[in-house]
Amino acid sequence: MSKAVLIDTSKCIGCRACQVACKSWNDLPGKSTTFSDTWENPKFLDSHNYTRVLFREISQPGGDLKWQFIKRQCMHCLTPACASACPVGALIRLPEGPVVYNDDKCIGCRYCMMACPFQIPKFEWESAVPLIRKCTFCADRQAMGQEPACTSSCPTDALLFGERDKLLKEAHRRIGAHPGKYYPEVYGERTGGGASMLYLTTASFDNIGINHLGFRTDLGDYPHGLYGREWMSKVPWVALTVGSLAVGLHYLNKRRAQVQSQEHKEE
Amino acid sequence: MTQSGTTPELKRWYPGEGKVTPFRLALYALVMLGLISGAIRLFFGLGATTNLNDAYPWGLWISFDVLAGVALAGGGFTMAATIYIFNLKKFEPLLRPAKISAFLGYLMFVIGLFFDLGQPWRIWHPMIMWNPNSVLFEVAWCVMLYTTVLGIDIFIMALERWQKHDWVKFFRDIYLVLVVAGVILSTLHQSSLGALYLLLPEKMSDLWASRAIGPLFFTSAVIGGMSMIILESIISAWAYKRKPEMDILPSFAKGLGLVLLVYFAMKVTDLYARGATVWSLDAPHLAFYFELFGCVAFPALLLYFHEVRNSQKGLLWAAGIAAFGVVFNRFNVSLTSYGGYRTFSYFPSLVEIIITLSLIAGGILIFDFLTKNLPVYKSELAE
Repeated sequence: MSKAVLIDTSKCIGCRACQVACKSWNDLPGKSTTFSDTWENPKFLDSHNYTRVLFREISQPGGDLKWQFIKRQCMHCLTPACASACPVGALIRLPEGPVVYNDDKCIGCRYCMMACPFQIPKFEWESAVPLIRKCTFCADRQAMGQEPACTSSCPTDALLFGERDKLLKEAHRRIGAHPGKYYPEVYGERTGGGASMLYLTTASFDNIGINHLGFRTDLGDYPHGLYGREWMSKVPWVALTVGSLAVGLHYLNKRRAQVQSQEHKEE
Repeated sequence: MTQSGTTPELKRWYPGEGKVTPFRLALYALVMLGLISGAIRLFFGLGATTNLNDAYPWGLWISFDVLAGVALAGGGFTMAATIYIFNLKKFEPLLRPAKISAFLGYLMFVIGLFFDLGQPWRIWHPMIMWNPNSVLFEVAWCVMLYTTVLGIDIFIMALERWQKHDWVKFFRDIYLVLVVAGVILSTLHQSSLGALYLLLPEKMSDLWASRAIGPLFFTSAVIGGMSMIILESIISAWAYKRKPEMDILPSFAKGLGLVLLVYFAMKVTDLYARGATVWSLDAPHLAFYFELFGCVAFPALLLYFHEVRNSQKGLLWAAGIAAFGVVFNRFNVSLTSYGGYRTFSYFPSLVEIIITLSLIAGGILIFDFLTKNLPVYKSELAE
């Protein structure tokens, strides 16, 4: 069965230990921090930042303000659009869950960046021969029987690593056990065909206001990568049809012209 | 072929050949600038020399060099189909220039793509690393094969020029294979370039994010190709002080008008079938109206008039607007439609603009060289 992470944002305290753990495990360079309007840092995911926690303050029905901390990283889709997009198969989904990238195949076309509905793949723009970078779900750690760096560092169990079906059951158990506490849908259960990152939130991403910051709520349940695959499955038939039509019409029209000129002569 | 004599040297056809005009000088200067910019781009990388970023992974090069360039180079397969498949032999004089401009279009595509790739030296990877699920994989293969087909076609003209009659006969015997291959490959990749955008409807404006984008791209590529043939015929006639093919261009333009009408009907049907918001006055809608009414319906209307079809200026305007419409459509699909999605903005950098301009300049120079050195125009063939 494939692995997943249950992200219960109600338990997240915004400590960013996951960001630090990710940086150390992946040996990513640090970047000087900047002020942002919400205290979140870094401001964007990029080739040196595979994960970050979004900070948002939203108003409650009573008039209070409440912090929302939403960790963002690759969703590790069950049917990844990036893997359908990549022309050389540099991005693939491993059966255990991680969507991984092969440095040696990539040609740098950046179609994966265009295709990803969560805008996760990032490019090494500062390099002369850049590659794509994104969260790997710590596939290397998982291969050694360890859990991902981020989940292992979480002090409040907001990040729970495990089997996907078990985590889903747990998520729905929590929703049922605490009526009114959680938004009743698990983001990632079916979103975009399903993902390995499962979000339990206290409000919808629409309400938190990050539905255009990598947490689209209008993706539907159908994985967009399959649109490309459907197209590709038709290609041989289109080729065959166009080819036979072309040959057929060529001889038909040639014959017609011959007959016409023959008739013309006989007149 | 030309004279049956054995003189391998063909006579020079055009007045003013070899003269250095200011226009020609400007083209050479642009190509030089392009070479320098290309070297800078390869040395310093994409981030330093272009305005592309994580929010806009694809920019001017994809929109213009790749998408628009290939659509405008659609004249090669359109003419081949017209003449060899629909047997409309009277348009034959338009065939060879169309093939040359198609070949140059694809050459520009490949060079433009080379600079756009993060790992340009791996441009051959799709040949041995396959992902049959990927639309871009199919585009890569079709473009590779089709550029080869066009290259062989140009090579046949060179063989004629060198009077290698045996070889010319060999290629003429298998010519139908080349034509059919060219038509299949073009149908596939012209539509698949649109199908690339099937994967990202959520990032595009509703007006262009259509499930029918493949067929729409194919039809507009036929428009792009046909209008470029008309433009090319008239402009090169002026440049070489030749007479444009005004005996066949009007009826060819009628065909263009017809395809424009079909495309208009397809666009409107698609819009209503998907239930997209049709009437609004925001920026995407204004761009859409301009594209559809200004650049599809309007040239179709122009071409309806006998006077327009039979005047060089009229044809130039109608075909020019139609070709612009196709380019505008490609920009809308790949840039403006995507733009409203992010808070970032994108405008191409100087290096991006110079490389694109130099590709066009280089294309014109090679076109000039090929038409002067290969048997391209009717007057050189019928002897």
